[in-house]
Amino acid sequence: MALPEKLVAEFDQMVTKYPERRAALIPAIHRCQEELDGWVSPDTMEDIAEYFGLEPVDVYGVVTFYPMFRTKPPGKHVVSVCHNISCDLRGAQGILAKVCEVTGAQVGQTSADGKFTVEHVECQGACANAPMFDLDGVYHEDLDDAKVAKILGGLK
Amino acid sequence: MSTHPTYLLNRAQLADSHTLEVARKDGAYAAFEKILNEGQDPKAVTEVVKTSGLRGRGGAGFPTGLKWSFMPDASKDTRPRYMAVNADESEPGTCKDRVLMREDPHGLLEGCLIAGYAMGLEAVYIYVRGEYRLPYKRMQEAIDEARAAGLIGKNILGKGFDLEIHMHQGAGAYICGEETGLMESLEGKRGHPRPKPPFPAGFGLWGQPTTVNNVESIFNVPFIMTHGAAWFRGFGTEKSPGNFLCGISGHVAKPGVYEVPLGITAREILEEYAGGVWKDRELKGWFPGGSSTGIVPADLIDTPMDHDSIKGIGSMFGTGAMIMLDETACTVRASEVLARFYDHESCGQCSQCREGTQWLNQIFHRIENGRGTMADVDLLESLSHGMTPGKTICALSDAAAIPTLAVIKHFRDEIVEHIEKGCCPLKGGTGTAPATDRTEVHA
Amino acid sequence: MTKIILNGREVEADPKKPLIAACHGNDVDVPHYCYHAGLTPVGSCRMCQVEVKQGEMPPRVMAACRTPVAEGMIVDTESPKAHETRRECLEFLLKNHPLDCPICDKAGECMLQDFTFDEGQAEARTDEPRRKLEKRKDLGDVIVLDQERCILCSRCVRFFEEVEGKLQLVISERGAHSVVETFADRPLTGNYQGNIADLCPVGALTLKPFRFKARVWNLFKKASTCGECSRGCSITTEVLRNGEVKRFRPRYNADVNTWWMCDAGRFAFDRPNRADRLSGGRRRGFSNIEDVDTDDALDQLSDALRGSAAPVVIASPFLTVEEGTELLALCKQVGSEARFVSPAPNELADDVLHTGDPCPNRRGLTELGFQPIDPADALVALGAAETALLVGERVGELVGTEGLAALQTTLRLYVFDTNACTAPAAQLSIGVPDHTERLGTWINVDGHAGKVSAARSAPSGVRPLTSSLQTLRASITGAEVTA
Repeated sequence: MALPEKLVAEFDQMVTKYPERRAALIPAIHRCQEELDGWVSPDTMEDIAEYFGLEPVDVYGVVTFYPMFRTKPPGKHVVSVCHNISCDLRGAQGILAKVCEVTGAQVGQTSADGKFTVEHVECQGACANAPMFDLDGVYHEDLDDAKVAKILGGLK
Repeated sequence: MSTHPTYLLNRAQLADSHTLEVARKDGAYAAFEKILNEGQDPKAVTEVVKTSGLRGRGGAGFPTGLKWSFMPDASKDTRPRYMAVNADESEPGTCKDRVLMREDPHGLLEGCLIAGYAMGLEAVYIYVRGEYRLPYKRMQEAIDEARAAGLIGKNILGKGFDLEIHMHQGAGAYICGEETGLMESLEGKRGHPRPKPPFPAGFGLWGQPTTVNNVESIFNVPFIMTHGAAWFRGFGTEKSPGNFLCGISGHVAKPGVYEVPLGITAREILEEYAGGVWKDRELKGWFPGGSSTGIVPADLIDTPMDHDSIKGIGSMFGTGAMIMLDETACTVRASEVLARFYDHESCGQCSQCREGTQWLNQIFHRIENGRGTMADVDLLESLSHGMTPGKTICALSDAAAIPTLAVIKHFRDEIVEHIEKGCCPLKGGTGTAPATDRTEVHA
Repeated sequence: MTKIILNGREVEADPKKPLIAACHGNDVDVPHYCYHAGLTPVGSCRMCQVEVKQGEMPPRVMAACRTPVAEGMIVDTESPKAHETRRECLEFLLKNHPLDCPICDKAGECMLQDFTFDEGQAEARTDEPRRKLEKRKDLGDVIVLDQERCILCSRCVRFFEEVEGKLQLVISERGAHSVVETFADRPLTGNYQGNIADLCPVGALTLKPFRFKARVWNLFKKASTCGECSRGCSITTEVLRNGEVKRFRPRYNADVNTWWMCDAGRFAFDRPNRADRLSGGRRRGFSNIEDVDTDDALDQLSDALRGSAAPVVIASPFLTVEEGTELLALCKQVGSEARFVSPAPNELADDVLHTGDPCPNRRGLTELGFQPIDPADALVALGAAETALLVGERVGELVGTEGLAALQTTLRLYVFDTNACTAPAAQLSIGVPDHTERLGTWINVDGHAGKVSAARSAPSGVRPLTSSLQTLRASITGAEVTA
């Protein structure tokens, strides 16, 4: 397995921003996750390791540290519902329940039809517009049950 | 609505404030250009920031100018030096840097340029939490515009001053907002905070002298350089000058990010800006500056929002992010949510933090779900004293312990009631979230 | 050197090392887990707390492994605050730690047991369920990992990265979910894996060849030297009830091996534990092989030497300097050239410790005046000889058992070795102690003297080789030496 040329070209640009190449590792892992089916597979970790001149186990240690990196393939859409304090105070539990109901997925799991992965996440920095979720990298804020049904229902 | 004078968010009110054209027309980069054209002494620039009394807006409130002055003398230490702008904004309740980067990225860039000039920097890295995709995009576009206009890169405006500014994307993990955890992450590693000493000014990014500053701190710098330290001191209080962005959230009618002067009372923010407690309810308790500052009771709502006054009530100004709980809110539930958060976010290096954050989480979870014992209250207190102060590499351990001690101090009765009744008296029968993401911690 | 006040007395501290090194170097024990003098200090376990007063600041409890020494610093390792902080730290470490002591190899030499006994509390305050992780994770041929016992000190992670230069283990995940792992469950590789079991402060990393084999308090331990290559790492030989060698472990030696040893040496206890050791002599009679005692065997040998031309003498490279000295004198007496068998270097040589040279005392014997001879040439010399003497542990194996077996019986071959030589040409085999059973000196590749010590007795009936050689010399003296 090798990294797509397009990604390698991006990495070649990224590493020039830093005095040491390794600093581009986390942005590079992001790009791999974005381009390669939404997760970071062991093969991808080995490819990334090779590019940066690191041991695969080193890359593995980095990938598993960060909550945004997935080591399992996700569903087509990923719904990340904040369940920290400001969102909890304004009904995040109810929103989470509604999200699970609409998508058919349990928290931390992918729906049977493979369309949605639902996860709960810590504070996303949208506290003044709670409750919220991140859908495929876009914040949806000031949610209520109706909005959840509308936003996610449209993707089913 | 109050009529305190503002400056931080003025430009953000303009349409397309994030573009170079609009920003420049509004005065962006004028202060920097003046400094550059006049060839001002970099040390003098630092002195102005020092004199202004600006305190860090990322949570610790450390004087910004003083921090800049810790960088070694450039004539004696010729190593390349850096600034990392901390845009990791992950303290629960905090959502202000997001607004600044999204609406006025050029304002932040100008602050970076001035800081770069004052400290003789090689490059500035703006470390943005990975989830802030739109702010990152706006910042990157602003950098591209500024670079094209000759404001970033080599020989800026033809004056022989070089400075690079780069965006850097994080990938989650609250601990990467800790200045040394941020540096480890920026270097492409797990975000494990470093023991201090050595301090970043002596050994920072890639072992070189580095200053780490919060977005809002740097954002203030162009205003200070434009109008002067005395002008800045006209806002806020003597020991906490300036305006700040207060993100107020939770049980209020109008949660939002509001620009207010330091020293304004918490009550004024709550009632004049946030519309008061929602649903005509009474206030029960509030966090002054993010979850790590710990809860304080409602009767302290008249406390001025500045570093010393909040310290005086046994809490901390932190990020100035107020989280409000009404009379129906359960403080044990709130503690459970926070304990789960710190458990989730501990990097795992220090024994007290790794095990203690999980332990606090387990105990609060049991109490909220009716399985607490009286011994648990003393145990929570005892464990917290084992986790703070200053026993660990970084302050996440303290951040988990302080709210625990605070809720026991101010709301002990509510905790005891949970234990005696064997349930949450405020819950009304709805379920609680699992204690952690990944493991079921109770049998 | 920097002067500090340590527990009330003024001591000197090396400013290039952290405070904990100054404490340990001045006989002050400071408990610790993640710190190891051979690895970069990380300050993560938080166990090494000592109270420090500097200048006008009030005294503070600090992690000694990450505290630089400063002139005039006042250090108190026994203050109540220091003890309290350590006790708290231990409680946190024990909260998830499984109560495995009854089945854990590390019991008896476990830093968690030891410091808990010194500084911890007697009762747990937790009934919370403990972490459920992999308990018998196979990491290859050498190491078994128990993730539940792990206290995440990262010593094993740092060892591979810093000492061997290649990361093999990491701490993955985060916080209370952290675990030590390899990539994709791959086994560990390399010749230095065993060191991480020594480094591990608890029983999270155990050695497969030692697992459940002995309780450490039943082992008799003797400082000695490894014989598997010419590095001569300082080791401890650990023997169970005067019988089997159960472990070899490295012993600190600043000049030779610092804290480490390789697996080839660490696990070389098959040979010492072989069952078929000589316990005296074994003689080839007319129609049978018969046991004789050493005295009779030596008589037979000295008769043979008196009545023959100068024998071909080939020594084992395992001979100590003391044994070599005796043999050299014997060679002079009988007019033989003194040589030791010198097999070719093997492929284990690396940048860390292993020299690839299977002759532990090459330098010692060479400095005495022995010449090396490779096994093929040795066999040629033996083939052309009438009488030959092979002397020392493993000499038969190193010259070549097959080659020896092919020698014509016109040769009268006499062998001193740990095991009998079964070649038809062998008239007599006389037992010798191996290097776990005798006292002597080897000189390593860099000229450092390593002491070989007896951790157990040789099989009864076996005499020290020096003693046998002296007996021989005495009985030959005065006899005619035919050309």
